[in-house]
Amino acid sequence: MPYIKEERKETLSVEGEWAYGAYEYKANKLLDEFCQGLKERKLIGSLCPSCGKVIVLPRAICGRCHRKMTERTTVSDKGTVLSYIVSPPMVKGKYKMFGVDPVELGIVKEGESLIPANVRFDGSDSPFNTLILNAKPEEVNIGMRVKVVWKKELAGNLSDIEGVEPIRG
Amino acid sequence: MPRPVAIIGCGQTKHSSRRRDTSQAELVAEAAWNAMEDANVTPEEIDAIVVGNMQGFGGVAQPDLWIGDWIGAPEKPVMRITTGGTTGGAVAQGGYYHVASGLHNIVLAVAWEKHSDSKEAGAVTGLGHVGFGAQMNLLRCGMGTRGFIATAGVGAAAGVAVYQAMHYMHRSGCKIEHFDMIAAKSRRNAAKNKYAHLQWPDCTPEDIAKTEMVAYPFRYGHICPASDGASALIFAEGSIARKKAKTPAWIKGLASITDEENQIMSESGGGIGVLDSSEQIGARIAAQKAYKMAGIEDPQKEIDLAEIYQPFPSQELIFAEKLGLFDEGKAWIALEKGETDINGRMPCDLSGGVLATNAIGSAALQRILECALQIMGKAEEHQAPKKIRTAVAHGWGGSTNYNTVTVLGASLD
Repeated sequence: MPYIKEERKETLSVEGEWAYGAYEYKANKLLDEFCQGLKERKLIGSLCPSCGKVIVLPRAICGRCHRKMTERTTVSDKGTVLSYIVSPPMVKGKYKMFGVDPVELGIVKEGESLIPANVRFDGSDSPFNTLILNAKPEEVNIGMRVKVVWKKELAGNLSDIEGVEPIRG
Repeated sequence: MPRPVAIIGCGQTKHSSRRRDTSQAELVAEAAWNAMEDANVTPEEIDAIVVGNMQGFGGVAQPDLWIGDWIGAPEKPVMRITTGGTTGGAVAQGGYYHVASGLHNIVLAVAWEKHSDSKEAGAVTGLGHVGFGAQMNLLRCGMGTRGFIATAGVGAAAGVAVYQAMHYMHRSGCKIEHFDMIAAKSRRNAAKNKYAHLQWPDCTPEDIAKTEMVAYPFRYGHICPASDGASALIFAEGSIARKKAKTPAWIKGLASITDEENQIMSESGGGIGVLDSSEQIGARIAAQKAYKMAGIEDPQKEIDLAEIYQPFPSQELIFAEKLGLFDEGKAWIALEKGETDINGRMPCDLSGGVLATNAIGSAALQRILECALQIMGKAEEHQAPKKIRTAVAHGWGGSTNYNTVTVLGASLD
């Protein structure tokens, strides 16, 4: 016996819409600093004087100790996979995200599986959420060593980091 | 010292994916009426009201502004509390505070969600508008649409739980088959709960295992629905509670703790440096504080039943451990032994839980409501056969950083 279903009478509806472009959020100040660092292939984090944790991306106040994090430190662009997700193969017309079809938009290839992951860069104490590139889903595992795939022309914005790829050999 | 407070009435609506037969106000009113009837109180006897839903999910930013006159609010104080997934837990705890403080004697707490008023499954646009302000920052700072789709789209609410499940499996030895077992248990339990959404009377782990893989280790059958529905509780001061209810469900202890921020949605992207997202220290601390207030020393022995916030099966295991009901990394072994079934030592989510019914605002309040029903002996078909003297209700939400824990009992000692 499958799921129990109930039929209901549909009453009058009123249509409405919210536009995504209706806001202009402010980014935090340190994002500027992080992005400037990317131009020189540097990953900048902030150091907590109380717990000693290094958080990437940098933040002004430690989220746990609530101490001012005034000191900056550059961490390695190599790191370890903490956790990851393998998306199902993306198929045109099947998935819509935030109102767009990523395959139709050309930002994801037909049949491609995306592998978002949390990576801990050496010298940091925080997860960095990014994409695993140049790897088959079956070869990805927790603890895998990876390095940043830098964009060819660095522009000083977040897409300078295209993702990470396995360190082979 | 807080005054003694008990739940004296519970009200719910039938939950389903599309309640296109009712407006948001009518839905909320139905749950509120049911609770007042159950508590044997009139609208005039209610001193104050606490309300909440997930802002924007039903396409309305502040529904309480026009729902007030559907739940008896005129001439009374109304407080709105919205904390994401924990909304219902926070609304119920808000109801408790109103009475425990001595300022009010009888308080209505009502929480709801009407997902189907949004045109997208899971109200993604609502989430985008409400929860992803920070992520939109990153997009505007040149993150690129591809990265945004991958991390925010693939890795949104379900994504957080996937990372969490991967960590848990990695460190505990739990397998995907255990998730199949929990999902099937939830569907079967829900079939005995007339208000639940995903009801499947004879569902087996094999049925769940046949469903499509959405994002390893989660199959389609592992994922909670988006439900329309409302639920409500009546809180009363001790002496009134004794007069009004045969068996009041006493609030023995409670805590709400904020801890790890979900790195995906955190304001800076770095979060607070939590490397294992199944760590959930907030749940552990909340449980410890609530147990201390309730005078519970050994939850494994003293708790009779739990209602855990588990939109994904891995979370029933993770949070059961954080609530101290099983040893760390061992909940899946108890599951295998049937300890979390209706006849088991520690029944978990006999209502079906969030995995079966997920009206976001209402979901964490339902956990408390279900514990109250079990203590009052009113859970009907899903009533545990053993006497429930002490039960624990959990809520999880915010930007994955909020945890609410409430301990209920058949008596105050």
